[in-house]
Amino acid sequence: MQIIINGKTYAANPGEKILDVARRNRVEIPTLCHSEALPGLASCRLCMVEVHEGGRTQEVAACTYPVTDGMEVVTDSEMITAKRKILLALYNLIAPDSERIKGLMARYHVEPFDRLQADAENKCILCGLCVKACEELGTNAISTLFRGTKKKIGTAFEQPAAECIGCGSCASVCPTQAIEMTEADGKRTIWDKTFELLRCQDCGEYYTTPEALAHVRQKLGDTVGNIEELELCDYCKSRRAAEKLKNGLRLNELFDATVK
Amino acid sequence: MSESLKIRTESLEIAQKYQPKRRYLLAILQDIQKHYNYLPAEAMETVARYLSVPLVKVYGMATFYKAFSLTPKGKYIIKVCDGTACHIKGSVNLLDEVKMILGIEPGQTTDDGLFSLETVACIGACGLAPVAVINDEYHGNLTPASLRQILEQYQGGMKDAK
Repeated sequence: MQIIINGKTYAANPGEKILDVARRNRVEIPTLCHSEALPGLASCRLCMVEVHEGGRTQEVAACTYPVTDGMEVVTDSEMITAKRKILLALYNLIAPDSERIKGLMARYHVEPFDRLQADAENKCILCGLCVKACEELGTNAISTLFRGTKKKIGTAFEQPAAECIGCGSCASVCPTQAIEMTEADGKRTIWDKTFELLRCQDCGEYYTTPEALAHVRQKLGDTVGNIEELELCDYCKSRRAAEKLKNGLRLNELFDATVK
Repeated sequence: MSESLKIRTESLEIAQKYQPKRRYLLAILQDIQKHYNYLPAEAMETVARYLSVPLVKVYGMATFYKAFSLTPKGKYIIKVCDGTACHIKGSVNLLDEVKMILGIEPGQTTDDGLFSLETVACIGACGLAPVAVINDEYHGNLTPASLRQILEQYQGGMKDAK
């Protein structure tokens, strides 16, 4: 099946979202709350595009809107551009320190709103990506709390949560670095709770908490929960994988040489 | 039995009137709110465990709805309507009267635990404006003086809590 984005035709697969096809073909659509690993949030609305389909035109979130054959998408119409600018200017007021938002403002030539007061202390845009990360990767330790102007992200009773395993997934997916996670002297502090850190078995750098490792082991189960790679930091994990691949390729060379 | 254990036992009994399914969370919290006039932390923990819902989701729901309170509410909850019709008919004067008599602001509860004061946007009884609702009883066409008389009846224990 095919879809048209900004006048050009691209191949698409059933079940894909507009954003998937656009990203694959280097068509720019800005996002804040989108993560490939945790799709489907559609809360930041930055990815709004115009869709012409079956004689109707509507504005949809590209990150969740499924493609249909022959659909026409416009990512930079006058209306979309204007709305995107307003959104970015408003996000800039909510989270004035965010480099990512400032970068997007520069990219789309957005002037800051000077007639409204920025919320200097705040960094969170309440997109909810951290909550989704905690649901999927962690242990449901955080959620949105309160409502309206008081809405915030936090733990139960806003106390250090028994559920939190200190995995840091929430902080790492946050588009505006709003979740404070500090590491010092082999300890990590996040959501007012302090954890010991474990060292990577290869390079010796601190990389995760015992609680997070135990959680991963439990999730993976008996068959793969004991693999050695779990005790490595991300860097060493990739390095080992690359080495294995390299060794594998060498075996193929050997194989080729013997057969020939 | 300690107070905390008592709350856990009672709230489990309330929760067990429903099947342990996530969709009953709101209904159970409403029943608990009705029983205690607030949501004790122990009760939220009990419900979370009973329904296998993360505790933070229960807390999130408890803080989301205005009908729930995390601190004990009074025996009588005075809701002064401040919808358009009541506002024009002088609901602000009613509110000032209650504040003066009881010495509390909207959202607060008197020290004796008898009254809580709230404002509501509209209760759909504009024909009776200005209106106040005390627990489930509607009082219409109020003046500061008539409201004072009604409050005195409650203070004197002449009205039963519903």
